[in-house]
Amino acid sequence: MEIEVLQDRLAKALNAVSRVAASTKAGLPILSNVLLRADDNQLTLTATNMEMATVQYVNAKAKKNGTITVPAKLLAEFVANLPKDNVLITTKDDKLTISAGKYKSTINGILADDFPELPTIDEKEAVIFKINVDIFKEAVNEVIIASSNDTTRPALTGVYFNTFEGSLYIAATDGYRLADKRFVETVKSEIKAIVPTNALQEVIRSISDNMDEIEVLINDSQIRFRMGEIEITSKLIDASFPDYRQLIPKNNSNIIELDKAELIRMTKVAALFARDNGGSIVCEAKKDEGTFSVSAVASELGENTAAMEANINEDGKVVLNSRYLLDALNAAVEGKITFALSGKLAPVVIKNVKSDDYTHIIMPLKS
Amino acid sequence: MPNEWQSVLDEIKNNVSEMAYEAYFARFNFVSNNDGILITSVPNVFIKAQIEGKYHSAIIDALNSSNYKYKEFIVIIDNNNNKPTVKRAVEISPDNTPISTFPKKVTTMASMLDKKRLSVDGNGLNPKFRLSNYVVGSNNDLAVSAAHAVIENPGMRYNPYFIYGGPGLGKTHLIQAIGNEILEHNPNMNVLYVTIEQFYHEFVEAMRKKLDGFADKYRKVDVLIIDDFQFIANKEKSQDEFFHTFNELQQHDKQIIVASDRLPAQIATIDERLASRLMMGVPIDIQMPDFETRCAILKSKAELLGADIDNKTVEFIAENVRNNIRDLEGKLNQILALAELRGVPPCELIDDSYITQSNIQTKRKTISVRQLIDKVAKYYNLSSKDLLGTSRVKNIKTARQIGMYLMKEELGLSTVEIGRELSKDHTTIMHGIKVIKNNLKTDFNLREQITDLRQKIYTS
Repeated sequence: MEIEVLQDRLAKALNAVSRVAASTKAGLPILSNVLLRADDNQLTLTATNMEMATVQYVNAKAKKNGTITVPAKLLAEFVANLPKDNVLITTKDDKLTISAGKYKSTINGILADDFPELPTIDEKEAVIFKINVDIFKEAVNEVIIASSNDTTRPALTGVYFNTFEGSLYIAATDGYRLADKRFVETVKSEIKAIVPTNALQEVIRSISDNMDEIEVLINDSQIRFRMGEIEITSKLIDASFPDYRQLIPKNNSNIIELDKAELIRMTKVAALFARDNGGSIVCEAKKDEGTFSVSAVASELGENTAAMEANINEDGKVVLNSRYLLDALNAAVEGKITFALSGKLAPVVIKNVKSDDYTHIIMPLKS
Repeated sequence: MPNEWQSVLDEIKNNVSEMAYEAYFARFNFVSNNDGILITSVPNVFIKAQIEGKYHSAIIDALNSSNYKYKEFIVIIDNNNNKPTVKRAVEISPDNTPISTFPKKVTTMASMLDKKRLSVDGNGLNPKFRLSNYVVGSNNDLAVSAAHAVIENPGMRYNPYFIYGGPGLGKTHLIQAIGNEILEHNPNMNVLYVTIEQFYHEFVEAMRKKLDGFADKYRKVDVLIIDDFQFIANKEKSQDEFFHTFNELQQHDKQIIVASDRLPAQIATIDERLASRLMMGVPIDIQMPDFETRCAILKSKAELLGADIDNKTVEFIAENVRNNIRDLEGKLNQILALAELRGVPPCELIDDSYITQSNIQTKRKTISVRQLIDKVAKYYNLSSKDLLGTSRVKNIKTARQIGMYLMKEELGLSTVEIGRELSKDHTTIMHGIKVIKNNLKTDFNLREQITDLRQKIYTS
């Protein structure tokens, strides 16, 4: 292989690829390598950890086509430190030589034959849809915070893509809170797939300004995201997601409209005093006084309470984990939110005032 | 079998590097080998790609040198394949391909893309509604026995078959089931299920585009099933069209099945000719199921969902949800979902405040005797004093007896207690309750009123 490529493009692609490559400590050495393929005017970089894979295409001038694999992190860090100029990559057997200006190094690699094959997706069998990158990013960020990292419950470590009444929704839950967002207004096919959270995080990290749309392909065992010169493929989690719609309270009577920024501030302050007792804070709505207050249960540190004016039609009180409330509020869009109470022990529902497509539920703490 | 599989794995181990073996084959498991179809499992699609790609020939060699006899080799994805159990059904193609032309055909079993979603074919029937999964109780036994008569001889007896009852009591299930059963008995019959809304929209469309097919479509069927008939209110043109369709079908002894949430006469602006025709068969109402029936319904739903549920939970739900079956099912789903989410058995959730306090009103609304009397009095435009008094005027007397009946049925009071409340002897109360019970068997209006009253007691 002999190929010439611009340093900044290569560095960026290698950076993304090295995030996906397996760490060097784990198992098969070739999985921590990146596969480089020179193909006329394109350099293709591929890495996989056998749970997900990323493929990046970089424009380049190839004098001689060929393939090789080398340790991804080493190559990425080396290229990142090179001057912004053309980089020349050549290979001989299982050795890769990279040179730019005064820098030149040779890295020991492994022949590409041993690199795992990536699963293919039959586009005729797959469900395919396109989505604007900004909408994708916003929606995924809104739900991903509610997902769990408890690997004993695999279904909850992912985001559930599911169709309901003709729309595609994404949802995540860790058993204590739940976020649900309408993702695509209309989809033609039925989708039920749990996408690993880390794959979605990788997609979001890979989004750059010049991208416009993400193409999503789903079949029964994998999902692929195509955006610009990047392709990320992940396995789906083979488990069944709880029938979460049953858990969303449908007609709360006590819905309070609140300013998001103000509520975040009040929650943060109360959380300071709630450190001793696992972050539990009390949210209380008082009809007669027309206030919504957030307070920490008195502890050794002292106590705290903060209130804001609000239109309240029913008294209500609930104890929440301040971290969950902050996560939910941070995920909501700026401006006004609604905070719906339905009793001391019923879940709280947080929504955006502006749009109805996002629902965040927090289970209260028993006090 | 496991020993043989171990020898296959050992053979593979000899041919690939140790690292590669660890990475790709550590969780390559044997699932089953039936009729020459060898099924194996791997944890995910990436590993599957290796097994079916690069290492395919190595595996085939290992298999061929083992004792396995097989025609087809299938790799499935199973997350939990450390304990190889076949939980889900595997679709297997029946073709017997010889070993030499080893097929690369692979069947996946993940149910992720649910392509089989409730297929509603051209006839509008959903095959999941059957009589076999319809729970019969005292609330609907009449409707079901008439349904059997219709299924056996469509168009002969009970034509039209007209059922009515409040929302969520299983009308749709029943009429869909009739359609499905008729089709099973007579596959050549032309069965059509539509809601009156669909009928109306198609009719409007046909008028607008001046299409001719409309009348034909409906008049050519052998069994016409109409759901949500009450929505025909205020749609006069559709009523006309339906009336003619009805006549045409009935003259040719075609079966007509109608479900509505009230009697035809109670539908606003309904054409009298149509109303009387619908009453020609026997209108049958579906009542709220009693406690035992609710338990039976819950058990059958749980079975359908493949969920494990104990009697305590079933009784808890049945005790607390009495409005309609849809809510009953909703509550069941909710408890099962929460149990799955928390990873605990459903019975542990009974005392869970989330279930008892959540927005679906599960708790039986506690209502005092006085409130009940007020409600009954108000319903009949009387004052509570009338009910508590001694007037023998017929309508007051009947309202009083209904009050007695509801106190017994809904508040669970004894006749002595009711007697004390109404300052009457307990034998008078017993008589009053008996009168209502007897009349309920024949008097549609009374049933209607009692259903209404119950709704009022539990919802307002």
